[in-house]
Amino acid sequence: MGRAPNVEPDHIHEKEHVVQEGMDISGHWNRMFEQRVIWDYTPELIEKVADTPGGESLAFCYQCAQCIPVCPVNTVGDYGPRRIYRRVQTGQDLFTSADLWQCTTCMNCLRVCPKEVDMIQIMPAVREKAVLDGGVPEELQTVFQNTFDYGNPLGESPKKRAAWTRRAAKAHGVDVPLMKDKKKADILWFVECYPSYHPRGVDASVALAKVLDVLGVDYGILGAEEKCSCDSQRLAGEVGLFEEFAEYTIKLFKRYKAKKVMVTDPHALNAFRKEYPKLGGTFFETIHYTTFLRDRMDELGMTKPLGYKVTFHDPCYLGRHNGEYEAPRDMLRAIPGVELIEMGRCRENSYCCGGGGGGMWLDGFMSDHVTERLSENRVREAVETGADVLAVCCPYEVSRFEDAVKSTGNEGKLVVRDIVELVVESMGVGDE
Amino acid sequence: MPDRPILIVGGGPAGMEAARGIADLGYSAVVVEQKSTLGGTPVHSNYAALTPDFRDASEAMGAMAAAIENRDTVDIRLDSTVTACERRGDDFAVTVETGGTASEVVAGAVILATGFRHFDPGRETQQYGYYEHDDVITLCDLEKMLKAGKVVRPSNGEPPKRLCFIQCVGSRDRQIGNEYCSKVCCGVAAKESIEVRKMVPDCKTFIFYIDMRMYGYWENEIYWPSQEKYKVNYVKGIATEIVKKGDHLIVRGEDTTMGRPMEVPMDIVVLSVGMEASDGTRAMAKLFGVEQNKYHFIETIDGCMNTVTTSVDGVFACGAATGPADIEDSVSSASAAAMKAIASLRAKAAAG
Repeated sequence: MGRAPNVEPDHIHEKEHVVQEGMDISGHWNRMFEQRVIWDYTPELIEKVADTPGGESLAFCYQCAQCIPVCPVNTVGDYGPRRIYRRVQTGQDLFTSADLWQCTTCMNCLRVCPKEVDMIQIMPAVREKAVLDGGVPEELQTVFQNTFDYGNPLGESPKKRAAWTRRAAKAHGVDVPLMKDKKKADILWFVECYPSYHPRGVDASVALAKVLDVLGVDYGILGAEEKCSCDSQRLAGEVGLFEEFAEYTIKLFKRYKAKKVMVTDPHALNAFRKEYPKLGGTFFETIHYTTFLRDRMDELGMTKPLGYKVTFHDPCYLGRHNGEYEAPRDMLRAIPGVELIEMGRCRENSYCCGGGGGGMWLDGFMSDHVTERLSENRVREAVETGADVLAVCCPYEVSRFEDAVKSTGNEGKLVVRDIVELVVESMGVGDE
Repeated sequence: MPDRPILIVGGGPAGMEAARGIADLGYSAVVVEQKSTLGGTPVHSNYAALTPDFRDASEAMGAMAAAIENRDTVDIRLDSTVTACERRGDDFAVTVETGGTASEVVAGAVILATGFRHFDPGRETQQYGYYEHDDVITLCDLEKMLKAGKVVRPSNGEPPKRLCFIQCVGSRDRQIGNEYCSKVCCGVAAKESIEVRKMVPDCKTFIFYIDMRMYGYWENEIYWPSQEKYKVNYVKGIATEIVKKGDHLIVRGEDTTMGRPMEVPMDIVVLSVGMEASDGTRAMAKLFGVEQNKYHFIETIDGCMNTVTTSVDGVFACGAATGPADIEDSVSSASAAAMKAIASLRAKAAAG
């Protein structure tokens, strides 16, 4: 039996058995709600958010509801900025509410909001307070701790951050150079955590190393010196951790000379472009690897036609947050035997994989609030297009979507590949 | 000088009403209109019936034009634009170009009645796919069909079975920069919804809105009848996503009163586009040096107590040149502008 929305369970009264004048009239029609009291309408709680630096714009909401249809969490749950405003207005304290942790900061609401209610500012601001008060979901706290202790959210050994390069050597005979040895390179490749440690992230890193090698790019990685860019931890509320790590990385970059920083992870792109400059890190231009490779595809000798129908998932932090929609598509179109099919929700209106803003580490928490994972909803959409490959270019996505392919029973119908893996396959030099 | 004519720029409802007022009071006017006919936006944007009283737009504008045509004291210059203005004492020496030929008009006062333009829904964002989907249209596109007496889906020529209006497109929006309410679109949508229901009785019709702004008599004259008599469905919540699925457009939104998502198939989606300062309003404001507000409408001085006097002595403005206005507002402010312009002529004459 469904619960009435916005009514706390202890305000609902229902007797298991009701007998009136000898007649059993048990049933849900006997459910009683306590009367709503007038002071449930609390301007103070809106003000509490609005008084938090960054939280001001929540108070702008005029309930037009344009955010709700494009909110990816609402598609699988009961969520979105308009609803958050209304709930806060009617007595919910956002600082201690489960609503605080469901936003993936995908920015689709801000795209359509006529009043510029900015969840990208509101969420980290309110979460930061909640983090300081100790009100963080446990699984997220573990990730914060891992990042603090090991420099990466996976809790892997920081010493082994460059261990993946041994696979590049083994598979392709490629020697991935370290900035520590070179001091100077055209491209400083910031690999990030998932591409360094997660097995499927490593697959993409190995492929990208091969591509850089074939192109003869003068590049280097930071290896064991590299630590998480921490953008998602920041958006999840760990602002202190973010600042500490940002200062570390800014100092580290100052040791080396590079023309550009190339990132695998759109979240790192976002941090370097928008957040690090606020902390004094304005000395490097950052690009995503797809932006770097898009114009050099004809130099790669891609001779093997793949014969795949491919659909592409726009990462929120590459597309909406940083305006790059074409580079990944240019890459895919340049690969022989790739037929690109777009999903209905693409580009500016792309659906979110659920990994951003801390969502990557909140799947357990989220399962209490959504009917299916966002990644599952997205995989169903990809399957509907008739594609056999879901191409991605954000390291959060490979693992999320592969899990979703399994859990939605689409194994054998759809595979998830990083774009650079498809490139290397078409070069006829597949890994192992 | 009181014998100088008053220059009126714009031959829409406001300009025509100002000219009539001036002529009726025994003064003379020169009306400069860039199009080849009088009537303004109601005629040139193919309005079918006026909001809120359903008067035939061409007939109503025709009557207004007839009231000033063939009068000795009203000089109507069609296909004409004002290209320069210089002050000559208290007078305005204005260059009017007609088909490449320039002539000079020396006016004692000026009334700017240069109106508005409709917001282009494809300009700022492609949110609603106006240039992508044939069956996504604007209020004006629908007016044109209503005028032609045939409401059909542009994609296939079939009458629609389901049609919806999306309100506040290009209005009340900080990102677009049009923070104001365009004032008329609620009424126009309600009026058009009634006309659609009359013309295509089995077409289910919806209006998605934030607030219905039906002030005064619009409430009982169009809002209530559309809902009560013509069974138009009003749903509080603006749809944001239009996706083509097969033969239909799927409109995704939220019914906020129910707190429920909605996904509704539609044959036609009508975007209720708002008002912006017209190119003519922007150009004439600059040419006559009158102050504009941040939305490029002409600013009138003294707040709500004076709706027609501009920052330049002897220059007045009326109608939608000063901000979103319906026809009622336009003819009212036009009369006020005529009165104040004449008063200004007389005051200068008295001062000698």
